[in-house]
Amino acid sequence: MIIIVFVAVILFYILTLIQTSFLAHFPSFSVFPNLTIFAVLLINLLEKKQGYYGLLSSLIGGFFLDIFSGSMFVGFYMIIFLFLSLFIKFILKSNVQIAMF
Amino acid sequence: MKAITKPRPKIKFRLFLSIILLLILLNLPFVSAKIKNLFYSVSLPLQKNFWSSGSDTAVFFKTIVNYKKLAEENRNLELKIKELLLLNYEVFDLRKENKILRKALDLGLETEFQLISAEVTGRYINSDAIFINKGSKSGVVKGSPAVTEEKMLVGKVNEVYDNFSKVLLLSDRSMVFNVEVVKAEGSFDEIVPGIINGAGNFQLELKLIPKEKEIEEGDSTITSVLGGIFPKGLYVGSVKEVKGVDIEPFWQIKIQPGVDINNLNKVFLLTNPQ
Repeated sequence: MIIIVFVAVILFYILTLIQTSFLAHFPSFSVFPNLTIFAVLLINLLEKKQGYYGLLSSLIGGFFLDIFSGSMFVGFYMIIFLFLSLFIKFILKSNVQIAMF
Repeated sequence: MKAITKPRPKIKFRLFLSIILLLILLNLPFVSAKIKNLFYSVSLPLQKNFWSSGSDTAVFFKTIVNYKKLAEENRNLELKIKELLLLNYEVFDLRKENKILRKALDLGLETEFQLISAEVTGRYINSDAIFINKGSKSGVVKGSPAVTEEKMLVGKVNEVYDNFSKVLLLSDRSMVFNVEVVKAEGSFDEIVPGIINGAGNFQLELKLIPKEKEIEEGDSTITSVLGGIFPKGLYVGSVKEVKGVDIEPFWQIKIQPGVDINNLNKVFLLTNPQ
C-alpha cells in the first residue's frame, strides 16, 4: 500500500510539473492539456470494480492540481476528483461494463 | 496488482473524517502558504528545465509549421532592412540628441524603479498566471508590477511566498487598469484614454473608447497614471481588431498583448513604482 501511494505521489507530481511547465507552451485552441485529469480518469476506468486505487489517485492528483492551480481553496480539485471517481465507480458497478482487450 | 479489500463502514467513516480534517488543515493560511512554498521550492530545478525545453520544442515545431512562409518572410525582412537602413541615417541625429536628453533627465528603467530580476518557472493551471522564482525573501511585495527588459508590462504580483511568487498576467479576468492609446505612427497629438480588461486565455479587451475617436489596427496602448495600479508609460500591446455595434456608444477593441508568454523567460519586478 505504501509503495503504491509513493508511486502515485511521484507520478502525479511529475505529471503536474509537465503540465504547468512543458505543456504550457502547447495550447491547442487556447486550451492546455490536463494530464492529471486524464490519468485519474484512466485509472478509475481501468481498475477493478472493487479496487480503491481510483479514489487514491483522485485524492493525490487533486492535491497536486490544487497546489499548482493557484486557487485559494486547497481541496477544490480533490473533492471534484473524488466525486468524479465515485460517480465512475457507481456507473461501472450498476450499469456499464467496459470490455477491455 | 492486488486490489485493496473493501473497507468496512467504520473505516469508511474514519477515512471521510480524516479527509475533512486534512482539508481544514491544508486551508489554514499559514499551513497553506508553507506547503505551497515547499512544493514550489522543491520543484524549481525540474520546472526550470521543463519550461526551457518546452519553449525550445514549441519554437522547433513552430518553425516546421511555418516553413513555407519563411522564404516570403525572409524577402520581406530584407526589404525592411533596406528601409530601416535609410531611416537609420535620418534618425542618427535624433538619437544623439535623445541620448543627451536621457542622460540629463535620468530616464533609464533602473533609475526609475528598484528592480528585482526573476525567472519564469511555470504557468498556473486554469488561470492566466505564472510562477516566478523570487519571493518575500528577495524583497518581492504584493502588487509589484512585472515587466520585461523592453518595458513591456507582464502583470502584477498577486501572491507572495518565501521563495516564490504568483504573477497575475494582464489577461486575467480580474485585471482592469487605465491605458492611453497612441497612434501607430507614433504621433502624440491626440492621446485617447481607455480601460483594459483581461478577457482570459491571453486576450485583452480595450473598453470605454467612444466611437468619435479614431482607432486603427496597430495603434499602441501604454499604461496611464490614472488607475494608480501600474506606473505610467509601460507598453501593454497593440490594437488587433476594432468592431462597432450600432446600439453601443463604444468600440469593441481586441488588443494583442506585447508579451508573448511562450518566449517569456525573465521578468523584472518594480518594487517602488513612482
